[in-house]
Amino acid sequence: MTTMSPSIRKAARLLAVVAATLLLASCANDAELTTLGQDNLAGPEARQIDSFLTWVLWIAYAVFAGVLFVTIYAWKNFGISGDDYEEDDWPEQIHGNDTLEYAWTAAPALLLLGIGLYTLTVHNSLNSEDSNPVNVTVAGESIAWEPQVVVVGQQWWWEYQYHFGDVDVDQERVQTLPTPDISTATQMVIPIGQEIELEITSRDVIHSHWIPSLNGKRDAVPGRQSAPWKIEADEPGVYFGQCTEFCGLSHSRMRMQVIALEPADFQEWINSQMEGVPLDAESAAYVDALVAGDTPAPENSTQRAISTFRGKCASCHLMEGVAEDLWSEEAVARQLVSGAAPNLTHFSSRTTFGGGIRNVWDPETKEFNKNDVAQWLRDPDSIKANYTDPVSDDDMRMRGMPNLELSTQEVDDLVALLELTGPKPSDFIISETGVETPGSEENAQGE
Amino acid sequence: MAIIERPLAIGAGDEAGATADRPLGDLTRPKQSDSWKDWLSTVDHKKIGIMYGVAAMFFFVIGGAEALLIRLQLATPNGTLLSPEVYNQVFTMHGVTMIFLVIMPLAAAFANYLLPLQIGARDVAFPRMNALSFWVFLFGGLFLNSAWLLGGGADGGWFNYSPNSSVTFSPSHGIDFYALGLQITGIASLVSAINLITTVLNMRPKGMSMFRMPIFTWMNLVVQFLLLFAVPVISVALFELTFDRLFGANFFNTEKGADPLLWQHLFWIFGHPEVYILILPSFGIISEVIPTFSRKPIFGYSFMVFSGIAIGFMGWGVWAHHMFVSGIGPISVAAFSLSTMFIAVPTGVKILNWLATIWGGRLRFTTAMLFAVGVVSMFTIGGLSGVTHSIAPADTQQTDTYYIVAHFHYVIFGGALLGIFSGFYFWWPKMFGYMLNERIGKWNFWLQIVGFNVTFGPMHILGLQGMSRRIDTYDEDFGFEFWNLVATVGSFIIAAGIAIFFYNIAYSRKEWKKAGMPNPGPDPWDARSLEWMTASPTPEHNFDEDIIVESQDEFWHRKYGYDENNNVVRIATAEEVAQDGSNHNVHLPSPSYFPIVLSLGLPIVAYGLIYSLWLCIPGAALIIYGMVGWIFEHPDDPNAAHDHHDDHGDDDDPDAVEAGDVDVDEVVAEAELVGAGAETEADNG
Repeated sequence: MTTMSPSIRKAARLLAVVAATLLLASCANDAELTTLGQDNLAGPEARQIDSFLTWVLWIAYAVFAGVLFVTIYAWKNFGISGDDYEEDDWPEQIHGNDTLEYAWTAAPALLLLGIGLYTLTVHNSLNSEDSNPVNVTVAGESIAWEPQVVVVGQQWWWEYQYHFGDVDVDQERVQTLPTPDISTATQMVIPIGQEIELEITSRDVIHSHWIPSLNGKRDAVPGRQSAPWKIEADEPGVYFGQCTEFCGLSHSRMRMQVIALEPADFQEWINSQMEGVPLDAESAAYVDALVAGDTPAPENSTQRAISTFRGKCASCHLMEGVAEDLWSEEAVARQLVSGAAPNLTHFSSRTTFGGGIRNVWDPETKEFNKNDVAQWLRDPDSIKANYTDPVSDDDMRMRGMPNLELSTQEVDDLVALLELTGPKPSDFIISETGVETPGSEENAQGE
Repeated sequence: MAIIERPLAIGAGDEAGATADRPLGDLTRPKQSDSWKDWLSTVDHKKIGIMYGVAAMFFFVIGGAEALLIRLQLATPNGTLLSPEVYNQVFTMHGVTMIFLVIMPLAAAFANYLLPLQIGARDVAFPRMNALSFWVFLFGGLFLNSAWLLGGGADGGWFNYSPNSSVTFSPSHGIDFYALGLQITGIASLVSAINLITTVLNMRPKGMSMFRMPIFTWMNLVVQFLLLFAVPVISVALFELTFDRLFGANFFNTEKGADPLLWQHLFWIFGHPEVYILILPSFGIISEVIPTFSRKPIFGYSFMVFSGIAIGFMGWGVWAHHMFVSGIGPISVAAFSLSTMFIAVPTGVKILNWLATIWGGRLRFTTAMLFAVGVVSMFTIGGLSGVTHSIAPADTQQTDTYYIVAHFHYVIFGGALLGIFSGFYFWWPKMFGYMLNERIGKWNFWLQIVGFNVTFGPMHILGLQGMSRRIDTYDEDFGFEFWNLVATVGSFIIAAGIAIFFYNIAYSRKEWKKAGMPNPGPDPWDARSLEWMTASPTPEHNFDEDIIVESQDEFWHRKYGYDENNNVVRIATAEEVAQDGSNHNVHLPSPSYFPIVLSLGLPIVAYGLIYSLWLCIPGAALIIYGMVGWIFEHPDDPNAAHDHHDDHGDDDDPDAVEAGDVDVDEVVAEAELVGAGAETEADNG
């Protein structure tokens, strides 16, 4: 086998280089979704998993190195090339060795027992609740809020519900929960330094909620409230996530972010979410007239948008202060398979839309991202693949946002109304979010 | 041995066979011939094994093309080669094809060809049922893939979780094809499992005790038992799904209060044993290859056998590790986490025993050996990453990411498929009578193993970087581009390796014919088990006469013994020991058209269920016709029953010689000549 050894040495050197590159690459931090590296992670749960996994990986490397070493050693020392092969050269015919067998049955069993016991302690700590009430002021009333967010998946976006009242969400299916105090889409806002309990469920198919830098994932199963799952963030910031259970056509485009805020900022966020759309007095009067059943002619862009929204959007999307009288869960359930569409009352207080794949605010200029919002209104399918037809001839419900064939004027008016919803998030949050938007320049040219 | 019920077609006179030949008045019981038609009616386990192999390689090309499409789509961020709709179909069909139509039938190809040979039998216990399982598998696979031409393949993932698999969420017929297609191939697996279990348990010749069987036979026996118990579970689930989708039942309808986890439990109670169904045959293959090319017996035979059995049993107690994040509750998660960890123990024992077999051997790195050693190291990686996600907390980060994709490709490609390629190179001369070219074979191996690692190695990193499975696109700023591009390059290296394999077949066959190269002989590798004790390619009747088995590695012990210093000495050449296949007076089962007729009915019924129930009538009629014809089919020479022969050994004797009637004394005397080594060996066994 002497002829082989240089090539083996070469192969070993190559292997070392590859291994080093792999290690370096896996430490590189341009991945918003990474599960590796204490510094990349932002929550105690994710860090606990990472540090456990790291030493198990070292054991795995060692075992593999052992197997590889024995294989290569055997190759070098016991290998015979074709020319040197002798018919009557036989090694000792060993059939086995019981002591060895028992030893190498017991050794991995003991090693795994150790790993198993430690697994149980980590598993137990990840599944135990240890949250403290958070003092928040809701509608002028100070309450001790058990930090709990109801996470509801549907094709292909996440809803986050906040119930400040006395609701035992553990016991309820999502369909029977009272209307939440706050409902956001695609972005969950939490206070830092608090363990937040997540009650995860789904309205249609199975999804999986995963914010890698905070904690592992948990499936959203329709008809079931999952066993509680929790997340906690140490620092203010934006933490990215992706639906990880295959959920149909636009599974890849079902993303979400967790926005962690200082307690004071979180309180401010709650305050802002409790209000309706900040309309000027004339537009508010216009809404009142429409609600009362009159049909006054719209006088400006906002009023035209209000009219369009009430005519074409309000049966699915809730927008408080504009069209809450037209919205009901039953009405949405008649229109959509999932029975839910994002609450748009505070659309522009969020930084992403369309399943968390487009920016509401431009991360560079901090301006409202009119292009993408307009493109979404004009042709949602071009941003996120949707089924453009109803389920079937017998079942006229839609899955996802249909193309409403809005006129350019209607689109422009609605974009302005959506910008108005607010309040605009901080520049820090806008620049931290900044999702990659493929081909948005091209679209800008197309305008 | 050999409870073979029907005699070989020997051209009985017309007057004798006229009515018996035509049980239903039209289909004549076919005669053995050399024409291509013979393949349609054959019940020969070797031909069926080869057909399994050819069909599986055909599906392998389809599944491979799907894999390349996936890799091209993901090569760069925001890939646009495939629409999300098509992408979902492609990855679903890639998984379904590779598992059900490639790895399982390739394992079945080897099992069919080799099990009877390795235990010294003439055929399987139920030869027509064997043909039935092949044809049912083939038509099931074609039916499943015909969805591509009829509106698109299944799009729910191979795991096909409910309620995403309901008509509401997947209105096309893709998932109907999935449910019915897998139902049909499931029938094939069940029939084959019953057949092969019966064969191994009942058709071993004198002296072939269970613990003298080769490890390959043992592992396949375990696999057949796994199939026997696992397939009914998925069949039930698929029936429920079919009724939900086609007839409005509510097994998985969450709107009517169904629990979606029902499907998950049913699927994985099948699906986890399925993993061992895929991998154990390859463990068996390399347990034959490694001792042969190490010139040593397998280290720790009984530990190898019992660890395989242990895997078979423990495989039933780990299914919920696929559901750690489904919300099954912390206690269940903890229990399945521990049970999953401990299944690594018997697997580890196997790896250590292979290494111990290599240790101190005289290793010949033929292509077969390279692939086998490749399995040992690549499967180790897959096993170790498996341990990392048996740790439930870590699995909450890993599951449904590319880390899992990496893991199971290291198991199924690095373990099962590389093992199967080892088997190709090893048994090719036995099956086809010519050797595959070793130089090209090495190119095949190195391209495949390098390509494999370049493709699937980076997926570990991608998964831990947070790349989810089953996504058709990802953003630039996720940091996924580099490794995805590398993986795509790797996938084309694999494709080159596979192309070279096909080239090698064509090249080796041509060279062998052109150069008039000699037959490789019964035993080109100096191997150990009974299949090498007959001519290459295996004669139709396998063995001229029954083999009386005295030890494990019977063939080796007939060639070699020990001298007084316990050194190995040759006592006979392979040619002296092996049978030359010249006995032409052996009763063999007659061919039959009814297996293919019966099988053809199944996809017709399935199309009928999807498109128009009227179509079920001709399909069902064909099935019933096949069954009735099968039952009333007579041997084409009714006189040639076992007890009708008078004297054997006479070439003119129209009655075949049943192998069991060979002069036993003569064989025993011959066996005794083999010498003391065999007896020592028998004691060890």
